[in-house]
Amino acid sequence: MALRVQFENNNEIGVFAKLTNAYCLVSIGGSENFYSTFEGELSETIPVVHTSLAGCRIIGRLCVGNKNGLILPNSTTDNELQHLRNALPEKIKIQRVEERLSALGNVIACNDYVALIHPDLDRETEEIITDVLQVEAFRQTIASNVLVGSYCVLNNQGGLVHPNTSIVDQEELSSLLQVPLVAGTINRGSDVVSAGMVVNDWSAFCGMDTTSTELTVIESVFRLNESVPSSIATNMRASLIESMS
Amino acid sequence: MSLYNFKKIAVVPTAKDFIDIILSKTQRKTPTVVHKHYKITRIRTFYMRKVKFSQQSFHDRLTQILTEFPKLDDVHPFYADLMNVLYDKDHYKLALGQLNTARHLIDNVARDYVRLMKYGDSLYRCKQLKRAALGRMATIMKRQGANLTYLEQVRQHLARLPSIDPYTRTIIICGFPNVGKSSFINKITRADVEVQPYAFTTKSLYVGHTDYKYLRWQVIDTPGILDHSLEERNVIEMQAVTALAHLRACVLYIMDLSEQCGHTLDEQVKLFESIKPLFANKPLIIVANKTDIVKLDELDGERRAALKEIEEDSETPLLEMSTVTDMGVMEVKTMACEKLLSYRVDQKMRTKKVDGVLNRLHVAVPKPRDTKERPPCIPESVLLKKQQAGEKRKRKLERDIELEEGDDYILNLKKHYVDIPEEERYDIIPEIWEGHNIADYIDPEIFDKLEELEKDEEIREETGMYVVPKIELDETMLEIKRLALQIRNKKAIMRDESRVNKQNKKPTMPRTTTAKVRERSVTKLRSQMENLGVDMSGTENAHFTKTRSRSRSLGPPVKRMRMDTSEGASQSRNRSVSRTPRNEQGVKDVAMRNKLSRIAHKAISNKVRKYGLKGEADRFIGTKKPKHLFSGKRGVGKTDRR
Repeated sequence: MALRVQFENNNEIGVFAKLTNAYCLVSIGGSENFYSTFEGELSETIPVVHTSLAGCRIIGRLCVGNKNGLILPNSTTDNELQHLRNALPEKIKIQRVEERLSALGNVIACNDYVALIHPDLDRETEEIITDVLQVEAFRQTIASNVLVGSYCVLNNQGGLVHPNTSIVDQEELSSLLQVPLVAGTINRGSDVVSAGMVVNDWSAFCGMDTTSTELTVIESVFRLNESVPSSIATNMRASLIESMS
Repeated sequence: MSLYNFKKIAVVPTAKDFIDIILSKTQRKTPTVVHKHYKITRIRTFYMRKVKFSQQSFHDRLTQILTEFPKLDDVHPFYADLMNVLYDKDHYKLALGQLNTARHLIDNVARDYVRLMKYGDSLYRCKQLKRAALGRMATIMKRQGANLTYLEQVRQHLARLPSIDPYTRTIIICGFPNVGKSSFINKITRADVEVQPYAFTTKSLYVGHTDYKYLRWQVIDTPGILDHSLEERNVIEMQAVTALAHLRACVLYIMDLSEQCGHTLDEQVKLFESIKPLFANKPLIIVANKTDIVKLDELDGERRAALKEIEEDSETPLLEMSTVTDMGVMEVKTMACEKLLSYRVDQKMRTKKVDGVLNRLHVAVPKPRDTKERPPCIPESVLLKKQQAGEKRKRKLERDIELEEGDDYILNLKKHYVDIPEEERYDIIPEIWEGHNIADYIDPEIFDKLEELEKDEEIREETGMYVVPKIELDETMLEIKRLALQIRNKKAIMRDESRVNKQNKKPTMPRTTTAKVRERSVTKLRSQMENLGVDMSGTENAHFTKTRSRSRSLGPPVKRMRMDTSEGASQSRNRSVSRTPRNEQGVKDVAMRNKLSRIAHKAISNKVRKYGLKGEADRFIGTKKPKHLFSGKRGVGKTDRR
């Protein structure tokens, strides 16, 4: 099920939250509205944790993680690291990396099995990613954008990529990731899909501007309800053509 | 989001208001004082300005009207035709055309009178010319009175038109009066059109919006149409015809099987046949309404026969519906939307527009590259929750706590450290700085040591170590002390008084330029050269200016190096030693010289500040005899300073 939320009147909620199958990180805002949306939806199954990274609220863009681990940028302070260690379950590995491209959320897109990474990422970082997150990492671009983390959202059952990704690229990426992919937008036509939403295997959160067509595409491709990804090409085809051209 | 915004047109004033507005604006925005003894050129320009200004104001206002009203040739044909029906195209165009002519006439009047004004030889004549010019402009505008009132009415009506987007997905409902068109639109949208049991309740177009398949659909309710030829149709019917003719929409033709509308089925079928050309190339659905009274199957043979032809047509489906019982209403809506959607998609597929979005209609399905299983990771509890979605138990959220506690709320991060036992959970996280625990560098006994020191101090205080011994004074000393205090007080008072008196209460003028800083000096040069590694010893008396020119034939150098001389010899060659400089005359010693120079500096800077001078030597007097003070009607030399 996908929900529409806002962070302090901002629709780019993927910037302020990180959602995985084993935990959810939420930045500390002025009020608890945003946090409680996640809390009400998730806290019975996974820990929902308030945190900041390097004193910033843009945690969704700074860190990357899945059910196995969490990788933090070098700028994370010791206190924040200790707080995360205390708050997250023991089996989740937490690792701080020395990486020039410190906005890890923008340069890495991953689910529990595979990851797409920025072509210029350090070799050491790549090794840490494969070890900590227990994934296969592929150096790729999406629609000739190197910021794969910004332009791609993944869970274990599907993925949403930049709207300009060609069919050939989609096929190639899909075979690498082993999940069905769809090119689409979020927040009424925004192409930075990862900034506009967060998703795990059973729930998704999108910006408040997201249209109903976008929401339906998301629910089908990530298999959040009964519909299957192929319905996008069949049942929704007419409405998609109508709304996009 | 509509294509046209007819609500933004500015109000068109009546002719009288129009003239009042412009004339008062001219009065407000141009100079008002002129005297007959002014130079004639000045008087002429004064009145010319008035004429030109009012002409420009008329021109601008008319241009605004002309540009803001929609041009019938530019707007979508639907709106052009609708406006033709409602306001009469010829009348509309004529009104705008006449305003345009009026604008030209006003321009011409102004030009003529400005030209005439050049021959005005007195204030009176110039004024009469101005009066005539403004009067003629006003007359021209007065003749436009009818046009202006007409345009104002058009504006008011245009602003109240429903905002119909002619390009979007549209469903048009049409049929005889009183067959239930407005009831249907009220059922599927929130338009809230008036429904009454008599014909022609709806007299104009109404718009509502409905949702289907994640899209927004525009539904248009039209007034009823009667079956007669196009020429006989009235304005109300023509609006419906315009919508049908120009909007590429799905058409719902609504029929009344019960014939309660006052028209037999036969007539309704005939109307359908006669307006059929309007439905060409559009998805069309025929709806049989009021089935709560008579169902299609219950019709008698004669009526059934009338419908036969329509029923047999495979292109146009015939649906039954009752807006009273809601039966079939949703089916009609779904069918209409589906038909229109597939029709529009079909048309779009033929254009190039779709190529751009084809990649977004594609779902890339992975080809398996290995045998590894990658199952989704959904916890049992989630699946369980999904199954029992009905029973929801409300848990207390952080937001609820925040609302409860109000301003006292503090976000508790440590509450959720479930792996850590309760008593350890709130321990302070050690603060590490550059690999060192800050706590290691804190002396744990610091408070004990402080206490010890304080005790020592207490003992000292008790033993009287800090007590100042009392000094005994005799009579004379007391007298001296008293006097000294008096003197000190008096002195302080005098100091304050003199400070207050001396204070400069006049405004000072700040210097616009900073004092010049010497850029080059011998000491600077010397230190620079030494820094660069040049040996500067033995140059104490060197002059460092260029002493000789390039050519040797010019003779000996003008300046010579100073030679070491014995003590007491003359330092200056130019002037006799006996004559002291003026600033040193009568000065006793160095201390006095310093004091004098300080006083002088202060006096000069005071003067400089007060008059805004450039420096001590600035004795500038601007104009010696300012013209404005020495010319005019007063007699020569009587009052040269006013």
